[in-house]
Amino acid sequence: MAKYIVRRLLQAIPVLLGISFVIYFILLIAPGGPLGRFTQNPKITAEQIQAFKHRWGLDDPIPVQYCKWLGVCGDKPFLVNALPGGTISVAGLTVELPGGDNGVLHGDLGYSIIDGRLVTDVITSRFLPTFILATTAYVIWITVAFVAGVYAAVKRYSLFDSALTIVNYVGYSLPTFWLGIMLISLFAAPPLRWFPVGGMWTTRTVPTFGTDAYWKFFGSQPISALYDLGTHLVLPVFTLVLVNIAFDSRFIRASMLDSLNQDFVKTARAKGVPERTVIFKHALRNALLPVVTNIGIEIPFLFTGAIVTETIFSWPGMGRQFILATESFDYPVLMGILLIASMTVVLANLAADIAYALVDPRVHYD
Amino acid sequence: MTMNQSPRLPGSDRHLPVPMHGGGTEDFEVSLVSLNQWQIAWRRFRRHKLAVFGSILFLTICAIAVVGPFIVPFNFYELPAPIAHCPGDPKSLGSNGCPPSLEHPFGTTGGLGRDVLTVVVNGARLSLVIGVGASVFAAIIGAIVGGLAGYFGGWLDNLLMRVVDVLLSLPILFVILVVSKFLGGGSWISIVFVFAALGWPSLARLVRSLFLTLRSEVFVEAARAVGVGNRRIIFRHILPNAVSPLIVATTLSIAGVIVTEAFVSFLGFGVDATQPTWGNALSGAVAFIPNGNWWWPAFPGLAIVLTVLGINFMGDGLRDALDPRSKF
Repeated sequence: MAKYIVRRLLQAIPVLLGISFVIYFILLIAPGGPLGRFTQNPKITAEQIQAFKHRWGLDDPIPVQYCKWLGVCGDKPFLVNALPGGTISVAGLTVELPGGDNGVLHGDLGYSIIDGRLVTDVITSRFLPTFILATTAYVIWITVAFVAGVYAAVKRYSLFDSALTIVNYVGYSLPTFWLGIMLISLFAAPPLRWFPVGGMWTTRTVPTFGTDAYWKFFGSQPISALYDLGTHLVLPVFTLVLVNIAFDSRFIRASMLDSLNQDFVKTARAKGVPERTVIFKHALRNALLPVVTNIGIEIPFLFTGAIVTETIFSWPGMGRQFILATESFDYPVLMGILLIASMTVVLANLAADIAYALVDPRVHYD
Repeated sequence: MTMNQSPRLPGSDRHLPVPMHGGGTEDFEVSLVSLNQWQIAWRRFRRHKLAVFGSILFLTICAIAVVGPFIVPFNFYELPAPIAHCPGDPKSLGSNGCPPSLEHPFGTTGGLGRDVLTVVVNGARLSLVIGVGASVFAAIIGAIVGGLAGYFGGWLDNLLMRVVDVLLSLPILFVILVVSKFLGGGSWISIVFVFAALGWPSLARLVRSLFLTLRSEVFVEAARAVGVGNRRIIFRHILPNAVSPLIVATTLSIAGVIVTEAFVSFLGFGVDATQPTWGNALSGAVAFIPNGNWWWPAFPGLAIVLTVLGINFMGDGLRDALDPRSKF
């Protein structure tokens, strides 16, 4: 098993390299680019543009730029540059590794072209809002889908089952972003105005999220801070939940039905085991196997869902940052977010495979 | 997934009802006509009520897309004169758009005051063309790549499948957004190319798995034994058996492309904002929602939902009808 995990992790390296390579080329062969915003400004001279290009390394050939971004080419000799940066401690001895702050391999994602902040800072400041929104939605939708799916499978062909099928068909056909727009239109716009139109906090009464002032406010008035966050969470969470329940509850229902038709369930019933025990102990535990895998594979969808919901509800997370960076051709930030999103996809697939082997004794990897 | 499909021979379906024709009463055993696989599929499809409903829905929307712009009373490209108040409501602001009325059954848009029905009907064309175009194009690329990889195997298979692996590990919506914005340039043709270029890998994987299974079937070995060439084996013996799962997957992918394209255009990264598409219609609507204009975002979105629903029903029906193992 350990061998398998190591092999899969090693296999992920070329895939991630390939992904970053593909994306880097797409970004840099595009016309326009970050210099586009200067063309309309008559005060900026050609020398200034040239200096800007040189400052950001945009005048290098694309392969050289990619190589520098990766952290292999740089000011230091090749082999030294290829080593990961930072420090390691071996038996109480701290060793400073060469490399440092030049490139992804050294844990450095560069600086934002637009505001000069460290990309790692930009991303970490956007991480918590996305995490709050995504995990709240994820926990609710998995729970609801699970209960609904299992109940529909146990009471097959009941009214609830048919109702769930209809809800699923509709939910499957609803575009997430349109659902968000309509929820705003119904519940946030006049005449109802039950919830805020967007954002993560009420700007007039609550300090900016993530600042020290916010946490101070959170410490002194936790109830009103949580209430404020909660009212802003309702609509985006509901959007994510409604769209994702459709697929998941269907999947869980199918898995449970499959499990209920197995011979060991019939055996248990024939032995006179109470129906409750049959369902919860015999059938449900086996129905969980594919569900566990599926839950893992869905984690990257949280990011995708985040782009849509965060844009519609102006939620200050990574998805919103991604859209802003795309609009302003901010390559380093785009590359950083894309790299993290790709790593999530690759790692989630791996985690799903490992989880499958852990919960199902019939699966062997070697 | 229908991976282990057994090959079909014409007329070998044992569950086929004996067709009555020609008015002959005696000798009905002799009148047993063999139906080809498409005739059998058509029979099954017709009996699938939801699928028939979905197809009618989808075809109606296609018909509206073709002839609708000539029928609706307003011209998309002619801007109406601005009005101060909506008719019959002196307190309302005309610049917020007017709610549905007899003259404008879907209401009018905020700002320019366009008829929403006209916007929706005109938007159908590009949205459908992009959806169908990108899916068909992706299916062609997927069939070629998957077919080559599955049939020839070896290093070619390894190379192509590693490319597919990389493309499938991409966070696809992120990449679609970036590529549409950076390389699309607002033209719908380039959007079709973007969606096809990023959509083919899953179809290639499907076709490859079908080719892998079919390649070792007895009838292919028999064909090879009597000296049939690669080209004829691929096109005469394997492809016809691999084509139905591909049709189903392509049909279902149309729905996905339509929704994603609408989102991309909604963000202003897709088709140029002056062109009518459902995504562009929604994009303009957002600014007027806080003023209480619900009809402008509602109707273009409903058009998307109905189209997607129709395609999904149709795809489900096709899946059942084209699967030789399903019994009717």
